[in-house]
Amino acid sequence: MSMGRRGILWVTLVAVAAWLGGAGPAEAQSTLEVVKKRGKLVAGVKTDFPPFGYVDAAGKNLGFDVDVAHLFAKALFNDDQQLELVAVTSGNRIPFLQSGKIDIIIATVTVTDERRLVVEFSAPYFLSGSLLLVPKASPVNSLDDLAGKTVAVVQGAIQDKDVEQLQPKANRVKFGKVSEAVLAVKGGRADAYAHDDILVLTLAKENSDLRAAGKPFIPRPYGIAVRKGDTGFIKWVDGELAKMKKDGTYDRLWKKYFADVEGQLVKP
Amino acid sequence: MTSGPTAYSFEWAAIWRGLPYLIEGAGLTVLISVVAMVLAVLLGLVLAALSQVPGRWAQRLVRAYIEAFRNTPLLIQIFIVYFGLPQLGFRLSPFLSGLSALVLYAAAYNAETFRAGLEAVPRGQHDAAASIGLSPLQAMRHVIVPQAVRISFPALGNNLVSLVKNSSLVSTIGMVELMFVANDISFNNFRTFEIYGAAAALYVILVLGLTRLLRLAEVRLARAS
Repeated sequence: MSMGRRGILWVTLVAVAAWLGGAGPAEAQSTLEVVKKRGKLVAGVKTDFPPFGYVDAAGKNLGFDVDVAHLFAKALFNDDQQLELVAVTSGNRIPFLQSGKIDIIIATVTVTDERRLVVEFSAPYFLSGSLLLVPKASPVNSLDDLAGKTVAVVQGAIQDKDVEQLQPKANRVKFGKVSEAVLAVKGGRADAYAHDDILVLTLAKENSDLRAAGKPFIPRPYGIAVRKGDTGFIKWVDGELAKMKKDGTYDRLWKKYFADVEGQLVKP
Repeated sequence: MTSGPTAYSFEWAAIWRGLPYLIEGAGLTVLISVVAMVLAVLLGLVLAALSQVPGRWAQRLVRAYIEAFRNTPLLIQIFIVYFGLPQLGFRLSPFLSGLSALVLYAAAYNAETFRAGLEAVPRGQHDAAASIGLSPLQAMRHVIVPQAVRISFPALGNNLVSLVKNSSLVSTIGMVELMFVANDISFNNFRTFEIYGAAAALYVILVLGLTRLLRLAEVRLARAS
């Protein structure tokens, strides 16, 4: 390589570094205004997380979170169809929000201090502990039984850290999606799969070869999330949630989606 | 598509904090890639040789193998080996699952590359080898294969570079390699651009190292003949 080419390479690298280093915060715009102008709310929801976000055989999005998204669209435009649903996972939902692919995350986001640093959270709208999903015949009945065993978790979900802390002797294996973690338990790849209680209970109900094990551990609230600094939008979300709780909509959704596992959930 | 993302400020510190883990992950990327390369080259050679055996059955078998593995996504092959086979009572470790899928897939490409190399050796070379009294097998070994390897070398290099990059797919079955570590870090600190950027840079370094080695090997091969 000649000196000339090497020189150009260095100039380019320095320029890129300077550009990246200098990219400072710009004026944050209110998403609420943008959404109203656009005439459509773009919400990130789960597709593999019954009963909060899932799809039926026809590919239609269903679930508690999906209903909330429709109610938000209705509140904004008086039409619950002025809504675009984007499928997200535990791992990619916050990057999707940060990169502007979605306006809002309504996807079983557990409120944690780390996440508070990067998004604005609404008031809690659900309380979830964690449970273990195990094969029906498994001897596992609690986290204590998992020393030296393999536990599946989903990347980006809080159970990854919870299991590390509560059962450091377990070997965690991480997957990108709920369905893959379930397959890992079914195929004997993992002795248990740790995730939110409501999901585990629903999966146990839907899969006759699996059961829920343990008592719900570390209950934490779910929050709806918008971009950091977008305080106008999160206030609007909180206002809508408060209205839903007051006018009975929230109770109706609760009964619609949680009635048959209600007894096993942690009450908010 | 939606409102612009909020202001983003690049954070070098996120890269420095993540780098030790990324490098650890790159170690497994190198390990699985190198083992897969060796096995995929050997399997590719065997398949290419089989494709030259007179008679239709061997050729058909090789053809079927190549079409099956080249025409299906690698991700599906990885999932079949890792999630599917255990349901049939055949359970490989995650490493072996990922490795075997990578080898089977890359071998299909290598076999095609070597076959093309073998068939590019002029017909006259076979005749010349026969005329000096070499058996067909000897002719293969001493005359045809060395030339075929040289002809197919650049294309083989491309296959191997692809193999390194494709190894990122084993992150989906919980193998803690470079891509997996990048996901793991960015899903927790949300510095997506920094962490995937750093991971991309590490892949570039790995692939540049590989292409340099291949270049050296190519020069050697040319000199040896």
